[in-house]
Amino acid sequence: MAELNETIHQPVRLRIMAALVTLEPGNEVDFTYLRDLLEVTDGNLGAHLRKLEEAGYIAVTKIFVERKPHTYVSATTEGRRSFQEHVATLEAILKRK
Amino acid sequence: MDISPNEAEEALAAIQSVSQKTRRSIANSGAYIFLIITGIIWLVGFLATQFLAGEIVAFIWIGMSILGSALSIPLGNRMSRRVRSPSTATYAKRIGTLWLLLVFYCIATIAIARPTDGKQVTMFIILFIMIGQLAMGLLLSFSSVWWALPITALALVGYFLVPNIFYLWMAILVGGGMILLGLYIHLRW
Repeated sequence: MAELNETIHQPVRLRIMAALVTLEPGNEVDFTYLRDLLEVTDGNLGAHLRKLEEAGYIAVTKIFVERKPHTYVSATTEGRRSFQEHVATLEAILKRK
Repeated sequence: MDISPNEAEEALAAIQSVSQKTRRSIANSGAYIFLIITGIIWLVGFLATQFLAGEIVAFIWIGMSILGSALSIPLGNRMSRRVRSPSTATYAKRIGTLWLLLVFYCIATIAIARPTDGKQVTMFIILFIMIGQLAMGLLLSFSSVWWALPITALALVGYFLVPNIFYLWMAILVGGGMILLGLYIHLRW
């Protein structure tokens, strides 16, 4: 059985990945939209996004829209694959119940 | 890293909950605001058409339409910034082209058919708007445009079965229905 992914399993990061893999591949979501969706603070979300970005699970794009900076986040192919493996491992653990 | 089956169950429930919330949020994607704005315009406009006469009705429709557009454009821009898709530009162009063509076809149809009263003109315009909504839903997979079907059905029922109070019917049932549907999507969906 595959190992649980410690980076992804942290509760906030788990929810971030769950939201991002729900999007169509290639789609990216605005930072503030993700913050409101997950009901977390800017600082908390930013810290967890950095961890996921360092692991290569998400891609962060910063652009200017009407002279205002916007941060967009998306799941990478590697992130999607790791998340699916993590979910499969969780389901395998649950079946042992 | 080891966790108990109960912890695994909780983690899976959290994933499911966020996925569902995300899907609903994207599907909703501000549709409720546009439903409420359009509902208010139709409610006020059709009530005016039913109970008032003369130029004032045209001014009310023009005023409400300008107000609706002024509110919808910035809201639409804000909503579109939430989720960016690589194909957004292509979709935006296709949607724009579709609506431009529909306006042209609607004008052409009205010019050829030369409807004899306002109710017929209203029905032509409503049918073309609803065709556009359905086409967007069917071709571009926008999941929040299904409401075009019941609105079309209500408009047709009003036109054929209660022509004497057609505008009142459109105001209360269709305009009011859109407002209630928008509120339902926002609060309960």
